[in-house]
Amino acid sequence: MNWLSYQHFPIYAIMVLFLGAFLVVLLGKNRVVRAALALLSVSASLALLVALVPRVMLGGEIIAYWMGGRGMSGGYAMGIALEVDALSLFFALLVAVAVFVACLYSIQYMEHDDNVSQYYTLFLLLAGGVLGLVLSGDLFNMFVMVEILTFAAVALTAFRNTVTGALEAAFKYLVVGSIGSVCILAGTIMLYAQTHTLSLAQLSLLLPGNLNNATKLAFALLFVGFGTKAFLVPFHPLAADAHGAAPAPISVLISGVLTKSGIYGIIRLVYFLFQNMDLGAIRFLLVVVGSLSMFVCVTMALAQHDFKRLLAFHSISQIGYVLTAVGLATTLGVSSGLYHAMNHTIFKGLLFLAAGAVLHETGTTDLNQLGGLAKRMPRTTALFLIGAASISGIPPFNGFASKWLIYQAAYQKAVESGHIGYLLVTIVALVTSTLTLASFIKVSQSVFFGRLPERFEKVKEAPFGMRLAMGVFALLCVATGLLPQAVVKTLTLPAAQAVENVGRYIAAALGTEMPAIRTVTAVEIGVWNPINWLLLLGVSLLSVTLVALLGKYDRVSENEGAVRAGGKYDLFFGGEKSVHSQVGGGDLFWGFKHNWRHYFSFMHDLHSGVVNDYALWAALALALAIVFSQIVL
Amino acid sequence: MLNSIAFAQTALLYLGYVLIFPGFLFCFVVGLLLTGIDRKVVARMQRRVGPPVLQPFYDFFKLCGKETIVPDAASRTVFLLAPLVGLASLVVLQLFIPVFKFSVFGSLGEVADLIVILYLLLIPAVAVMLGGASTGSPYAGVGLSREMVTVLAVELPLVLVLLSVARVVGRETGRALVFSLNTIVSFQTVSGSLITRVSMIPAALAMLMIIPGETGSHPFDAAEAETEICEGLLAEYSGAPLAVFKLSHAVKLLTMTSLFVALFLGGLGTPIAQLVAAVGLSGELAAAVTMLLQVLALVLLCIVLTVLTISFVHAVTARLRIEQLFKYYWTVVTALALISLVLAWYGY
Repeated sequence: MNWLSYQHFPIYAIMVLFLGAFLVVLLGKNRVVRAALALLSVSASLALLVALVPRVMLGGEIIAYWMGGRGMSGGYAMGIALEVDALSLFFALLVAVAVFVACLYSIQYMEHDDNVSQYYTLFLLLAGGVLGLVLSGDLFNMFVMVEILTFAAVALTAFRNTVTGALEAAFKYLVVGSIGSVCILAGTIMLYAQTHTLSLAQLSLLLPGNLNNATKLAFALLFVGFGTKAFLVPFHPLAADAHGAAPAPISVLISGVLTKSGIYGIIRLVYFLFQNMDLGAIRFLLVVVGSLSMFVCVTMALAQHDFKRLLAFHSISQIGYVLTAVGLATTLGVSSGLYHAMNHTIFKGLLFLAAGAVLHETGTTDLNQLGGLAKRMPRTTALFLIGAASISGIPPFNGFASKWLIYQAAYQKAVESGHIGYLLVTIVALVTSTLTLASFIKVSQSVFFGRLPERFEKVKEAPFGMRLAMGVFALLCVATGLLPQAVVKTLTLPAAQAVENVGRYIAAALGTEMPAIRTVTAVEIGVWNPINWLLLLGVSLLSVTLVALLGKYDRVSENEGAVRAGGKYDLFFGGEKSVHSQVGGGDLFWGFKHNWRHYFSFMHDLHSGVVNDYALWAALALALAIVFSQIVL
Repeated sequence: MLNSIAFAQTALLYLGYVLIFPGFLFCFVVGLLLTGIDRKVVARMQRRVGPPVLQPFYDFFKLCGKETIVPDAASRTVFLLAPLVGLASLVVLQLFIPVFKFSVFGSLGEVADLIVILYLLLIPAVAVMLGGASTGSPYAGVGLSREMVTVLAVELPLVLVLLSVARVVGRETGRALVFSLNTIVSFQTVSGSLITRVSMIPAALAMLMIIPGETGSHPFDAAEAETEICEGLLAEYSGAPLAVFKLSHAVKLLTMTSLFVALFLGGLGTPIAQLVAAVGLSGELAAAVTMLLQVLALVLLCIVLTVLTISFVHAVTARLRIEQLFKYYWTVVTALALISLVLAWYGY
């Protein structure tokens, strides 16, 4: 093989990140050099992966790559393998894009921190870890990468160790994250002991229909292990702490990239290794865990009064959508779930970066202290609103496009299977979306609108480099929302097709004869044509605006500084100063929370914040998963 | 050459749809008319003389001539843009609701289905919330809180109503699910209005209760509550932007009532078409007369629905507190919608 041949690209993409990580430490004394090095390695990685899109995504090719020229010997897969099918590449692209934008943002965001070169090292290690995980062709390598990314993420969580709670958050993450990693390791060992192979492809050949108690146990261990990485309920409290303390670009990676690696692991587990999605119980497991995450975390988010913690809970809520959709086990379900995973990376990245910009300029993310920043940071506000509209599922942004497909997939599944549970899931998904909107209305009101506190009178707009990174995400939000058909055709449907062509995945790695591609189609029942809608809205808005301008709509009367305070340009209020107090961020929707007060107080008591409790939850989840797997598999 | 003429014709046709019917002019006239009738009926029920039916039109033009004050604390762009976006999106939404069998997008393919409409309905609400919030007024803060809770409250039963309609029509047309509003209406023109089905009656009742909640009228007007929080989100608005918001509110009456007609009374256009045919008209004239009569019928139905769900209720009830409002929607109305969904699910 020529060293420039495309088969090498996946390993190069991982290598440049790890190489960059070490070079940054060695050469990173200079501010410019280290930023250039980091940016160079992430863009090289992105370019290498994009170059694979035509072959793997559109051509349906699967790259099986053996390190050091090893391969199959004696009927067993030997050596370290990478295997890149459309599913792997889909997740790899998400990783690469998010890492690229986060790196771009870091340059100005981390300017005033100490030890920035170490930051970049950990950053690139985390990125390389996730990329290695999703491109890996064997289970043990997946575990190695999980370890690398977990420890890099823990260290990065505590990177600003002067921030209150950073060390505590990192410790919690370390404890529960290690439980997850150990589960993955134990599951891997179990499988190796039973099947004498670690290759994902060979395991997918040997395991299905051939289970014993040990491999069933392995399923439970791996499911819980990857569940921790995705912060699914009941591991959600960790994410909130970690996001609250970590620098914004790291939050982008943790929520946009790291959680996706957990989802990726679960997809590989249920669709490839065990191929047990035809079991109702496994679909039930995925859908229930997904819906629980979706609903519990959105309500948890409503109760938050810290910008980043709120985003963290939403992040898991959206992951819940992804898992639910994937758990429907229909082509439309998988494809829309992956679409939502992609959109989540984009809009949540944008929102975390906006939160970071607020923190960078004001020094706080407390919703009760902030307010009125729209006047001081208009561009950040506009970008934030795009992200908020996307996550709340407001047409025509990308969150709507994918959620809309998920609703259809869930309702379709409900009708086809006649199972009323799926109907419930559809309703939960639809209501969760509105609760998400409520939560982001709260953020808009408490951070960007509302009254500007005096101490923030002098706040400046975020610097250009940070706005540029946010702009990239905002552009992607709009583009992937307006062109759903194109996205589905080039990205998510090929990935969903890969999921349904397990035989090809096995054959590519083992070098046996490739079965023909089973092409899949996703049947959509709904109608949504965002471009036409936008055209109509454009015409409509244009005509309203024209009429309005002709009617001197813009000839408004503004205070030119001549009128003293207390005049007609002041806000109207009843005369008592106490009226002018803002409704606190956490209490904004008390009309809702009052009716759900028992639920909220139950949740409040449950989330003690003590790491012992959370470790106990993990143990409980593991125990339940083991019992479940022994019974149903 | 021929292509470009055809294109220009289509473009002009759609411009007509957006600007005249069922777009702006239609929304403007009928929306404000509904508001005027509502005010008159409420006044008569309270033994007042009440304003003339055309009063909302006078109000609108009067407001447009007033000074627009942008408060010091407000962010100007959002403050001025929010009313326009809200109105524009509402008018576009109106295009997607078929007038009996007539749909703007009959030939060119649909743009949005039921679920999309559910979310498009959020845009005007978000616009008014952001516009109000941008002023930083404490009243707007309270209004925003209540408006959002109202939206949350109405959303659950509305979702259930739409899902049960989708299921019923889906089963009867043999397609499992139908989300397309055009298909739902054309199904009704053949098989009779959905409200005649036992399983759909609770859903229709729920939808009737949703209309005042969605439009924020008594007793579900906690978010405006002019006697208490000075119209909440609109507290700082004046002049033309206020007029646009008032107009949006009026158009929303039309949107919600005509959505009800499309969902549950879609079959009522058929007798009109038959009548026209019976009189002996044919060809384009018949189509035009049918269309005209159907539009009149729609306006009449919208007036009836407005009087029924908004004016009558307004005149006899007092405002609910926001948590009572929420509870009402998530218990009574949701239960009604749920009955329909369960009936539809089990094939009634």
